[in-house]
Amino acid sequence: MTDPRRTHALTPLIQAVPAFPVAFVFLLGPGRELIASRGLGVIALTLGGALLGYLGLAAVSWLLWSRRTFWIDTDGDLRVDSGVVERSSRRLQLSRLQSVDIVAPFLARLAGLVEVRVEVAGTSGSHVVLRYLSRADADLLRRMILEFARRTADDVAPEEEPWVNEPDLLASVPQGRLMGSLLLRSVTATLLLLSVLLLVFTAATQGGAGLVLVLITGGLPILSVVGEFLSNYGFRVDRSREGLRIRQGLLSTKTRTIPAERVHAVAVVSPLLWRRRGWVRVTVTIAGVEGDASRSGPEVLIPVAPRAEALALIAEVLPSVDVEALPFVRAPRASRWRSPFAWRALAVAITPDVIAARYGRMTATTAIAPHSHVQSVRVTQGAWERRLGLASLHADTAPGPVHVVARHLDQALVRPLADQEIALVHRVRRMP
Amino acid sequence: MDSVDAVFVPPAAAWMPVSRKLATARRITLSLGYILVAVGGGVIAWSPLPRWWLVGYLIAAVVVYVWAWWVIGRRVAAYGYAERADDLIVVSGILVRRLVIVPYGRMQMVDLRAGPIDRWLGIATVQLHTAAATTDAAIPGLTPLEAAALRDRLAARGEARSAGL
Repeated sequence: MTDPRRTHALTPLIQAVPAFPVAFVFLLGPGRELIASRGLGVIALTLGGALLGYLGLAAVSWLLWSRRTFWIDTDGDLRVDSGVVERSSRRLQLSRLQSVDIVAPFLARLAGLVEVRVEVAGTSGSHVVLRYLSRADADLLRRMILEFARRTADDVAPEEEPWVNEPDLLASVPQGRLMGSLLLRSVTATLLLLSVLLLVFTAATQGGAGLVLVLITGGLPILSVVGEFLSNYGFRVDRSREGLRIRQGLLSTKTRTIPAERVHAVAVVSPLLWRRRGWVRVTVTIAGVEGDASRSGPEVLIPVAPRAEALALIAEVLPSVDVEALPFVRAPRASRWRSPFAWRALAVAITPDVIAARYGRMTATTAIAPHSHVQSVRVTQGAWERRLGLASLHADTAPGPVHVVARHLDQALVRPLADQEIALVHRVRRMP
Repeated sequence: MDSVDAVFVPPAAAWMPVSRKLATARRITLSLGYILVAVGGGVIAWSPLPRWWLVGYLIAAVVVYVWAWWVIGRRVAAYGYAERADDLIVVSGILVRRLVIVPYGRMQMVDLRAGPIDRWLGIATVQLHTAAATTDAAIPGLTPLEAAALRDRLAARGEARSAGL
């Protein structure tokens, strides 16, 4: 049990900071003409207004802050009381604790503060964010919450303490590699190159119309690169007892846990421009959390990593698979008439545990699904395939980014492969 | 039997065919669609367009109608299914041929449905759903008795072998 206490006193000052950008947007936008006609007075007025807005927001925030307290009660529950006009009291049963995360959002980090996110099992109201606390306070609180959870959850055997999760880093993405991987995407690279050419052309001919085009060809990829950079910044994967824990994001941090048994399929994707550097991306199909489709989980296991690192991650979710040693059966030469560029990549492999398919020339992809998660097996044959003596094999899995499709195989092989796969699906299912 | 058919060969005995009434149902739907085609012909006849436009339109319409009639017959004949000990197999298609094998344990739901024309002719469709949206296993053109019995058998087997996700 602890005494009720407040979060860090700097909290209101940090929470009010968003008042400033509004002023800047005004200065850059509608205020520009006013500055031109009235001079510096407008700037001073705007900044004054922004300061006033900031103080106002900070005052409201201070009021909320002063009335918000949290403590751990005698039952071992985390309690959070808040509200000025309408008081609310939240109670999280720490015996049902799922995770305690310490996250440092951008502004808070500047002040050396962090927020603590506590999640317990349950659907609604199972999540509390305490912002902001000093690093030391947060660590202490986390330890105490873990301690109380341990004490109250007497139905859990000591060795099965799910919350004792010392982070165990498996992989992380350095910023330089992340930025490089984003720039080295075919569409982005092409558009940026086009923008440079357009700029040169515009400068040479002194035509203005080209500049508008450059705004689009240059602006769109930059926006998308910046967006993806911010959301994947600091990407790291840790091993925890519940599965792989993924954290990502600069301005807002996202933390997700992927239990290994919920991974339905995995794909190793290697875009053309990444291949010289040996980078790959790993995407996964995760079955939705029951009753909550929006929380179906992240679809990217790692946005960019050297192949060996990516394969080590896959080994965490599919321990019995050696991606480099899959016994691939390739599509016959005849498939080049159906798929002239990618035909050399087309292949299928069936092991006692998984079915894998390889496809794609520009974006070389290896898609893998464990037999235990294959929902049905399909064979298709289009008119052109039939003429060439080819057929395609599909292993249907839950909806997601991964598609296990082996295209344009020798038709004499496809039906035996389909029968073999379905036999394996039956076999793994009969096991307890 | 040539090698093409070997891909879609039935497992043990033969494919269970679907009712020919399915062809009738689809041809009725086709003919209903031709009401719109007839309206189009009327518009052309009324318009000041040269006479040969109408002639060309009618010839095209008749050719398409005959072709579609014939395709429906072949497509219905191409449907087949087989219940094995642990899974259901369905074949379909003529231009693009399809074969889907669904383990009973993976079925999440079995649907039985029949539109107004289907009900009038006395046929129904049994559709299987798994956790994968791409599982494309529907058996149309079953008599209502057959369909209900198949649905119940599938549901019972699914329950017995259910492995969930």
